[in-house]
Order: sequence, then structure tokens, then C-alpha cells
Amino acid sequence: MSENKPTVKPSAAAVSESDPESSSFYAKHKKVYPREVHGIFRNLRTIGILVLLGLYYGVAWLQWDGHQAVLFDLPARKFYVFGLTFWPQDFFFFAWLLVIAALSLFYFTALAGRLWCGYACPQTVWTEAFLWIERKIEGTRGQQMKRDKSEMSATKFRIKALKHIVWIAFALFTGFTFVGYFTPIRELAGNILSFSLGPWETFWILFYSFATYGNAGWMREQVCIYMCPYARFQSAMFDKDTLIIAYDEKRGEPRGSRKRGIDPKEKGLGDCVDCTLCVQVCPTGIDIRNGLQYECIGCAACIDVCDDVMDKMGYEKGLIRYTTEHNLSGQKTKILRPRIIMYTLLLLALAGGLVYAVSQRVLLELDIIRDRSGLYRETDEGLIDNIYTLKIINMDQKPHQYELSVSGLEGMELIVKKPEITANSGEVVDLPVTVRLDPAVLERASNEIEFTLTAKDDPELTRTETGRFVGPRI
Amino acid sequence: MVEIPFIQRVIAVAWPSFLTAGLATILFFVAFDPQDLAALLGKTKSSRMGVYTVGFFLFWLLTLTSCLLTCYFQRPCETKNA
Repeated sequence: MSENKPTVKPSAAAVSESDPESSSFYAKHKKVYPREVHGIFRNLRTIGILVLLGLYYGVAWLQWDGHQAVLFDLPARKFYVFGLTFWPQDFFFFAWLLVIAALSLFYFTALAGRLWCGYACPQTVWTEAFLWIERKIEGTRGQQMKRDKSEMSATKFRIKALKHIVWIAFALFTGFTFVGYFTPIRELAGNILSFSLGPWETFWILFYSFATYGNAGWMREQVCIYMCPYARFQSAMFDKDTLIIAYDEKRGEPRGSRKRGIDPKEKGLGDCVDCTLCVQVCPTGIDIRNGLQYECIGCAACIDVCDDVMDKMGYEKGLIRYTTEHNLSGQKTKILRPRIIMYTLLLLALAGGLVYAVSQRVLLELDIIRDRSGLYRETDEGLIDNIYTLKIINMDQKPHQYELSVSGLEGMELIVKKPEITANSGEVVDLPVTVRLDPAVLERASNEIEFTLTAKDDPELTRTETGRFVGPRI
Repeated sequence: MVEIPFIQRVIAVAWPSFLTAGLATILFFVAFDPQDLAALLGKTKSSRMGVYTVGFFLFWLLTLTSCLLTCYFQRPCETKNA
């Protein structure tokens, strides 16, 4: 178990030099074997990852009011989020939410650097889960590296095969859960158990499982380095007061190995013992001592491992630490800076606006479609008929009975064939109606009229839409 | 010039086109219900999931073509005749 407790070895050779170069999915690169690490940030990340994975796999099974609590029901074109139902007409809210999400990302980046990457990004979360499985099956970093260099043998094959089987099983469950957010998960599970899964669901479960397996098992840090758009532009949000993970060069240099208990000043050395553990734990395989690099996802593994080493050497912790550029150069860090204040205000306004807009939503949709067969019809009594089809959508989660009225012209008669206008929850009702009028009141051929539909049990549930009433040329 | 590995070029084409195809699929099917489209084409039996899936891959084909062409045209022109 020596891998778990980092030991300080003098002048360990830089790890990457001895790694086998492998041709991978994305680019030629050296496989990164992140060494296991223990410490406060590792614990924080583990808690974060467990909570996020728990939410992902758990929320899909929650029920609410007789339906799946969170379900983006693509086959039915309805999104359920607990007590709320969203329709394609509500797409605007979704776009709004995305704007808020993007702004939050900018906000947290400006404030605390790549918190998202290190703690919450799905790529990080699933890579960590896959690494954990790999360690459980393949052993420590040293054992993995040794095995990969060795010739293929029955044992090596068995261990590798087991790892991939577990990875694939985990990926399949992830893919199944993913599809379970878009088509009811209980039905989906039932269909799988009875081998009656539809072809499209099967396809998407396999597609997403493959993506999970490939991204978290094989590509890992390469997704962050080559494929992630955020990684490429996040540095634009950084300033000298942004929280970063940095190596204190002034304190650490000149680096060099030494025996424990020796005063480094006597040998002209800084605090860095050059044990390269910070490189060994890095999931993206960089050396934090070279300064801030865009490959750094801010996972803080190097902080944990270096603090451990500093403790062992009897030095003060924090040679590598969360800090800011201002702090490193001996200045004070300013948290409340104009861009932070602006982001805060903007976020509060957008989030408040979204909550207000969703709460003020009228859960009734009304569309007026004019009859295409003719502009108007003349009755035997010389009155003018216009025929419409009203498309009524009850977006509420309970049935309603509605009252229809029409206004805009004097003396209009509204003829509805149905005795009652009712719509169940989520129902779309096509209602043919006729508006009859004496042409004597018409001042022009085309006139605007308004249809108003109101729920009988809730006068606030009302929609008014404009239609055209067409008569003969005057 | 540094030679870019083939697989990296493949992903540089496939990945952005995948993202934009996803976006296009969402926007398109927010506006149009697959069942209305099927009715227009005179087909009554079609699953929405199926139409979404086919729609997504058609969009991907389109964006993939565009990304491929960008990749193709950004190569320097041959200046001398062989």
C-alpha cells in the first residue's frame, strides 16, 4: 500500500519520461496514470462526485403527482419538472435558463477559476468514477504502469477484461438512466426486463453508453484539453484576483532533494523537495510548477499531495495552494471588483425574472386558424359567416371547462357546436366555431376581432387571441 | 509544419458538427412536431423518437459535410505543378 502514502524519495525521475507512448483516440500522447491522493480537497471532490452521481442516477426514479418527477418526455413533447409542465411553446424559458447557466459559469470562473472543471463537470465526475473502478481492479499507479509494460499474459488479460466488463456495465447503466430522462424510466426498465425495448431507445442507450465508456475510460483528460470549448476560452475570464491553484515559486525555488532535518537555506535550496508527486497525481499530466497552464482543470490533487509532503518535511503547508496572482506577488486580493458586481446583479436579475415569468405563466394556449375553404359564407338571411378552428391546449396539470367569447365588432353571434368546451390536462382540442354578423355594421372588408377563452373555475386562466373577420368588399 | 494526427482531424470534423447538429435538432423540433410533419407527408404511422433520431442524423450529415469542406478548403492551394 505504499502508493497510498506518498513517500519523499530524493530526485525521483520525472514520471512522464518512463511512460510508454500510446496512440490514443485523439492524439499521440502519453497515458496519464494519476496517483491516488488523500487530503481535504480530495474528500471535498469525493463528496461532490457522490452527490452528483447520486442525483443523476436517483432523480430519474422519483415520482411526483403520478408522473416521473423530472422527465423530458420527448415522445409526448412535454417536459415535467416536479410540479411544472413545460411545452414546446415554453422553449423561451429553456433558452433563458441556458443564458443563466452560461453566466453562472462565467461568474464562478472569474471568482474562483475552474471550480466547474475540478468538481462538477460530468467529464470529471465520470472520469473519477472510472478511475476508481480501474484502481479497484488494476491496483495502484505503480502496478498499473508495470502491467501495461509487461507482455500479455493470462492474468493480464483477465484483469484487463474484468475492468472493461465493469466499465461497460457501468456505462450501460449510465446510458439507460440518460434515456430514462427522456422516456419514462419505469416503462423503459420494464421493457428491458421483458426484452421488448423499442429500436430507438435501444440505439440511444447504446450511443450514450459508448460515449460514456469512450470519454471516461479512454479519452479522459484529452476531452478537456482538445475537445472542451470552455477550456479554450476560460482564461479570458481570469484576472489577477481569480482564485487559481499555483506553486509558490519564490518559496519553492531553487528546488532540490535533501535529507530530512537539513536546513535548506544552508544548501541554498527552497522548500520544493522535487519529489514530483505533484506531477504524479495530476490527472492531466502537467507540472504545476511550470505556472498556470490551460490543461490544469483545478482539481487540487497537487495541493493535497504537496501539503502531505510539506508536513512530513516539517515545512509549512501551502507550497502549492489556492491563491491569486495578486496574493502571490504580495498584494491584496480584491474580491468585489466591477466584473463580479456586474455578474452578480445580472444573475440575480435574470434568475428573479425567470422565477417571476414561470410563476406568471398562463397554462392555456389558444390558436386561431381561419377556415381555408373560403373567405366567408353568406347565409340565406344575408348574414356573413366566418369559420374558424380554435386550437386549445390545456397546459395545466388538471382538466378545465372553458368559456369562449368574441369581441371587436358590434352584434357578432358566436356559434359553437359543442355544448361544453372542456380539455383534460395536456389535451389539445380542435374546436370549430362560426362567427355570424350582419354586414351592415362592417366598415371595411377585413376586420380584427378578439377571441377570449377563460376557465370557468379560474378567471385568471385566460387567453385572448386576435383573428380576422372578412366580409364582402364595400 | 506540425503534422496533425489523422484521428485528431477526424474528431475536429466530427465533434463540432455533432454539437451543432444537436442544437439544430433541438431548435427544429421545438418548432415542428414530427407528427405534423409525418401528416404532411401522408404517413400516419411514425414514432416521434424515430423522427427525432433520423432528424438528428440528417442534421449531422449536413453539418459534417460543412465541417469536412472547411477542412478541405483550408488546406493550402498547390502553387506549383507537379
